[in-house]
Amino acid sequence: MIQHRIPRSRTGPSRRAFLATAGAGALLAGAPAIARAQAPTLKIGVLLPRSGFFAQAGQGCHRGALIAPAVLNEMGYRFELVHVDTESSVDIARTQAERLINEGANVLVGAFDSAQSIAIAQVTEQRGVPYVVNVAAAPQLTEQGYRFIFRNFPRSIDLVTNGLALIKTLLTATNASPQRAVFIHANDTFGQANRGAMDRLFPGANMPFQLVENIAYDPRAQDLNAEVARIRAARADLVLVTTRAGDAIKMIREMVRQRYEPMGIVSPGSPGMYDQEFYDSLGRFSEFCISNVPWYNPRARMAQPFERAFRAQFPNDKFEFHAFNAGFTLEAILIAADAFKRAGSAAPQAMVQALRATDMADHIMVGGPIKFDEKGQNNNIGSACVQNRNLNPTVVLPSEAATMPPVFPMPGWQQRG
Amino acid sequence: MIGRIFGGLPPRARLLGAALVAVLLLVPLVADRYVVSVLVLVFAAAYLGQAWNIMMGFAGQLSLGHALYVGVAAYAAAALYVHFGIGPWAGLFVGMALAAAFAAVIGFLGFRFGIEGVHFALLTIAFAEFTRIGFDHIAWTGGAGGFFIPVSQVQFDLLNLRGGPTMWYYVMLVLMLAALALCRYLTRSRVGYYWLAIREDPEAARALGIDIFRYKMIAVVLSAAMTALGGVFTAFYYNNLFPERVFSINSSIDLILAPIIGGLGTLMGPIVGAFILTPVGEALIGVLEHLGLAVPGAKQIFYGLVLLAIIWLRPDGVWPWLARRLGVADEDRR
Repeated sequence: MIQHRIPRSRTGPSRRAFLATAGAGALLAGAPAIARAQAPTLKIGVLLPRSGFFAQAGQGCHRGALIAPAVLNEMGYRFELVHVDTESSVDIARTQAERLINEGANVLVGAFDSAQSIAIAQVTEQRGVPYVVNVAAAPQLTEQGYRFIFRNFPRSIDLVTNGLALIKTLLTATNASPQRAVFIHANDTFGQANRGAMDRLFPGANMPFQLVENIAYDPRAQDLNAEVARIRAARADLVLVTTRAGDAIKMIREMVRQRYEPMGIVSPGSPGMYDQEFYDSLGRFSEFCISNVPWYNPRARMAQPFERAFRAQFPNDKFEFHAFNAGFTLEAILIAADAFKRAGSAAPQAMVQALRATDMADHIMVGGPIKFDEKGQNNNIGSACVQNRNLNPTVVLPSEAATMPPVFPMPGWQQRG
Repeated sequence: MIGRIFGGLPPRARLLGAALVAVLLLVPLVADRYVVSVLVLVFAAAYLGQAWNIMMGFAGQLSLGHALYVGVAAYAAAALYVHFGIGPWAGLFVGMALAAAFAAVIGFLGFRFGIEGVHFALLTIAFAEFTRIGFDHIAWTGGAGGFFIPVSQVQFDLLNLRGGPTMWYYVMLVLMLAALALCRYLTRSRVGYYWLAIREDPEAARALGIDIFRYKMIAVVLSAAMTALGGVFTAFYYNNLFPERVFSINSSIDLILAPIIGGLGTLMGPIVGAFILTPVGEALIGVLEHLGLAVPGAKQIFYGLVLLAIIWLRPDGVWPWLARRLGVADEDRR
């Protein structure tokens, strides 16, 4: 029986053609997996408290994230941002961190507040995803043995250490010699933490003045009449403060009303006196107050594009009032993007290795090169002496970042134009 | 006891309950970590809501300061663990005892001196507030700067409550189901009927010979102890405690939302409420993002509108309506 062989070409593909097609198919099928593994773009999940208790600061941070593409793409950094509002909630920070990682985020950035940052850190640690902290000062964040966390913000103790050191520099630079100081602080989380740091650091700080009294106050008090009277009674010529804007305004008003004229009012590491509402409410009385805080370096090369992009994107916002939060957030994104650029891959281990090897001299905020120690902490972040001048927070020290010389002692309340 | 818990349940309710538990047991096998994390929050909210429901829903005593019990127990167990290496399972007894002691003082002051209704609620808020201020100044527990439990990389260490979302999922699920069983048992026992009488008409209950003071105290102390247990677990879940967050009035309000939405005084109300509140919140985030409406505050507005709609459409809570629809209404109304 003769069987007619049917030519292969008429019935279907040849074995060779089949293998070629299958190979190409397998290649195509595998391509997304390979693409995912290599992740040609970096997906950064940005978790910020844009609503809720920390909304004001979170919005400032968010502005930093929004201008990041404009500033960093020009420098050759490629990344994609996914913005998430944590609503100032620890729960939402945690669940949204899980969601962002599920949706392919290669690195997370945030979250302004220590409690939310710790919640996110627990997720990133378990998922093996790098996490760059923009703003959060609790020391424990980098003391828990986390392998995937990188914090580009000083610990609370560093804030006060740097703040006190700058007071010495200020007094040397201005040849001023106050004799007696009081430390007045809000009786809230931040105020108490600063008080603890002052208690630990001041005795060994060898400051050229005596700290005669610590005064705690309720930030929700209607006025600070009694507290300012106590400062007067202590005959303090230097007032060290840890405040928020609302109570700082009440304190200054009371000082003016009681005609109390200190040589200076200096914060060794707290916000309040460089907030917009402080200037808006006090006008000329807001002038010459000093905040020794981490700040953007107006003379840094990267500060120019940062400021330009901010003013272009938010023409109705005053740059200086957002510079702190926006600057640290932009810098956190820069750190992640730079690590990705060097690593050439968004794979977690490659990113972590690159982040550990970070050595970035050219950046935005005051301080030395960005480098992380084995715990993931950048210890090179400095503080600037930011004095209110012409209704603007202005860097007056350190000299390499200053745009004006400091004025100390400050002019009397009635001697201001 | 088993008879009291399961007795009187219609077959349909038993079937639905068993199916729900079976599904929940299997969820971590199929769901991703995000879903599991959301469900951990759901179970925690359901458990804490159930604990609060004993006091308000069953015994009719309004507390707006239950964050006090969460915080006291959380701090106690966390401090014992960090400072003395005492595990959370031992620490929770200390935490529960402390919370119960606080509750006994509040209850005694309120009930002995006839402080009732909103005035009693104010008393509970006051205690939570001054405890918050106190913890702001206790250096041993970190003061206002917060208290931190060392985090471990272990995925499953039940003894020390260190682990990933899957472990927490089952821990919280067991906690929620245990609280449901306990409350079912209590509502079908003498104390439950006394609470019902006190809630509906205290004077009539007194006239019938019920020791109102005693049974109100039992409700307050039991509710506080159960809440404290939840507090210990949440402390080890979050690994950090800040007085401003833990003891805040917001925390107390969050805690009572699930039973109110689900159905005050009902057994399933806190669970149903928790299953609505947390997932709706999470879903809204995704929906608003896809619609391009994810501006700050938008979620809160939509969330508020959803809650408003629920309260408007189901003023007695969702569970009584749902129970009728499922055909399990009569037996489980309470």
